[in-house]
Amino acid sequence: MTSDGTLLKVSNVRKNFAEVIALDGVSFEIKSGEVVGLVGSNGAGKTTLLRLMSGVYRPSNGDVTLADGTPVYRMRGNLGVVPESTGLYSRLTAWENIRYHSRLYGVSDSIAWKRTLKFAQSLDMEDNLSRYTKGFSRGMRQKTALLRALAHGPKVLLLDEPTAGLDVTSARTVRALVEQIKQEGGTVVYSTHQLFEAQQVCDRIIIIHNGVIKANGPPSKLIQDTATETLEEAYVSLTQEKARMRFEDAKQESGITKLWHKLFRPKTPELAYEGGDLDE
Amino acid sequence: MNKSLHRITTIAKKEVVEFARDWRTIVAIIIIPILMFPVLFIVFPILLESEAAELDSKEVNVEVQYNSYPDFIVTQFNNTTTQLTLISTNFTGSLSDPRDDLDRVRDMEIDAVLRLNYSSDIWYYSIIHLSTSESSSEAKARIINALISFENNLTAQRIAAGGLEVNSTLDPLRWDGETSNADVATEGEQAGLILSLFIPLVLAIWTFSSAIQPSIDMTAGERERGTLEALLGLPCSRNELLVGKWLGVATITGVGVLLQIVGLLFAIGYLASSDFIGVPDLSGFAILLIILSIMLFAIMVVALELALAMRSHSVKEAGSILGPAIILIIFPALFTQVINLDGIESFWFGIPVINILLALRELLLDRVIIEHVVIWMITSIVYATLAAYYAARQFKREDIVTTLS
Repeated sequence: MTSDGTLLKVSNVRKNFAEVIALDGVSFEIKSGEVVGLVGSNGAGKTTLLRLMSGVYRPSNGDVTLADGTPVYRMRGNLGVVPESTGLYSRLTAWENIRYHSRLYGVSDSIAWKRTLKFAQSLDMEDNLSRYTKGFSRGMRQKTALLRALAHGPKVLLLDEPTAGLDVTSARTVRALVEQIKQEGGTVVYSTHQLFEAQQVCDRIIIIHNGVIKANGPPSKLIQDTATETLEEAYVSLTQEKARMRFEDAKQESGITKLWHKLFRPKTPELAYEGGDLDE
Repeated sequence: MNKSLHRITTIAKKEVVEFARDWRTIVAIIIIPILMFPVLFIVFPILLESEAAELDSKEVNVEVQYNSYPDFIVTQFNNTTTQLTLISTNFTGSLSDPRDDLDRVRDMEIDAVLRLNYSSDIWYYSIIHLSTSESSSEAKARIINALISFENNLTAQRIAAGGLEVNSTLDPLRWDGETSNADVATEGEQAGLILSLFIPLVLAIWTFSSAIQPSIDMTAGERERGTLEALLGLPCSRNELLVGKWLGVATITGVGVLLQIVGLLFAIGYLASSDFIGVPDLSGFAILLIILSIMLFAIMVVALELALAMRSHSVKEAGSILGPAIILIIFPALFTQVINLDGIESFWFGIPVINILLALRELLLDRVIIEHVVIWMITSIVYATLAAYYAARQFKREDIVTTLS
C-alpha cells in the first residue's frame, strides 16, 4: 500500500479478444477501505475488468498491479473473488468448498474456519456449512461464495454482480455484509448494473460503457458533473452510445466450426411489420 | 511440504473425493470393472450350460423318410426326448429340395425331416430344417450326432470286412505321451503368454475409456458449471492445476484398471481352478519396466484427454470428441495382438500406443530386450511430454474461463 492508501492500480489497460477490443485505455486506482462500484450494461466490460483484476486474464496492453508494482496475477493471495457464477462444487459441503479454496490460498483450516464462522453469523449461514451445496438456493450459493472469498482474509474483495438473481432479503444481507467489511476497513470492488445498489453501497462509482471508462467518482459528483438530478439520469447521459453485444464467447472459432455455422445458420423471415392487428 | 506440491495434492484430493461421492461413479469405476470379467467368464458360461441342458431335455419331433428301414436311427433314439415318425417312401429328385415339407417345417408342425435314401451301398441323406428355430436346430444337431455314430460304426465294419485292422487303419498317426510334457516353456512362461493376450488390451482400452468421464467432468464440466473461473482466480498456477487434475484422473482411472485386472485374474483363476494358468515368471526388472510403461502410457492418455476436454466449451462437445477418439486406442490394441513377437522389427516400438502394448506383451513373457526397452521408453517419454505440453497449452488458454451457459 502506498502512502495515499492505494492498494491496486489499473494503468492504461487494453484487452483484446481476437479483433474485438473489450477494454481500452482503462485506468483507475483502488484505495484501502474503499467500496468501488463498477457499473455498466451487459457486455460493457465489467466482468472482463474483474477478471483482469483477479489475474484470470492478462492485459493485452497496460498493467494491473498492486501498489508496489507487482502484477496482480503474481499476488492473487491478496484477493478474494466471487464470480457471477459463484463456482461452487455441488458434491462438496459449503465448508468443504470454503476449505478447498483456503487450502489453495495456503491458509490453515483452523484460521479459515474461524473467519468463516465470523461472517457466517452475519449471513445467517452457520447451520448450512455442513450441507451439500447441491440443494442450495441462489442466495445461499452466493453467501457461500462470499464466505469462501473471505476465509483467507483478502486485502481486496472482487464481487461480480453479487446480488444478481437474489431475492430482496438475500440481496439486503449481501449488501449488509459489504457494509460490515467496509466498516472493518476492508476494500471491495463491486460490479453491478443496478444503479440504486451502487449508490447505496459504493463510495465511488466507475461507469464503464463499451469497454471505456465514462466516469469515475462518488455518486454525488457524477450527478453534479452531468448536471442531472439522479444517478440514473447521469448514467443515461454518459452512456448514449448503443451498447454492443457480448463478444468473448464468439471469438476464436475454428475454420470448420465457422463454415459449419455458416452452412446451417437459420434464416430469419424477411417480413416487415406493416401495422395492423397481430392476432389475425 | 512444498507449497506447490501441497496445492497439487489438494486439487487431486478434492477431485477424487468429489468424483467418488457420485454413486454412479462407484458403479462405473469399482463395480463394473471388478464384475465385468467374472460375469463374462463365469456367469456367462454357466448361463450357456443351463441353456444347453434345457435344450438337451427338450422334446423334438423328427420325421424320418426312408426307402430302407433305418434300424440304426430308431435304436439310437429309443427312450430319448426325440420323437420319431417313420414314413417309408420312394425318392425322386434331390433330397435337399424341401418340396411338401417346406411349410410343415416353417410352421413348426415338425422340427426336422430326415431323408434317407439307400442306394448302391451308400446312404444318401438330407435334413430339412429351419435354422432360425432353436428346436429345429437342436433336432438337426441330434440327427447329425446319430448319423456320425452310425457312419463310424459302418466304416469300422467295412474295414474289418476287408480284412484290415480297424484302429491302425483309422488312426495311423498318434502322439505318444502327454502333449504338455513336450512343451519346454515353463508354467510361468505359459501363464505370461496367456496374460499377455489380455492385460495389454484391457489396460489400453480401460485406461482410455475410464479416463473419459473424469477428464470431461474436471475440465469441460467445471467450465460449464462455472467453477473453473473461481479456481483460476486462486494463487495456483495453471500447471499446478493441470498436474492436480491429472493426478485425480490418473488415480480414478488407476483404481478402475487395477480392479478390472483383479477381476480378470479372479475369473481366469476360477475357470482354471486347477492349473490352467499359474503365476507368470517375471523378474523384478521386468515388473519395474511394466509399471514404468503403464505410467508413461497413463501420462500420455490422461494428458491428451484432459487437453481435448479442456478445449471443449461444454460437456456435450467434449463427449463428442473423446467418445469416438477411443478408436485411436482400440485399433492399435487389436492390431498389436496379432503382431508376432519373435524377431519383431524394432521400429514397432517407436509407434505411439503400439509401442507400450508391445512392450507389455514382451515384458509379460519376461523378455527384456534392451534395444526394444530403450526405443519404447524414449519414444513414450517423448509422446507423454508432447501430450503434457499440449495439455499445458490448453490449460493456459484464456478462453477456458468462458462458458456456453
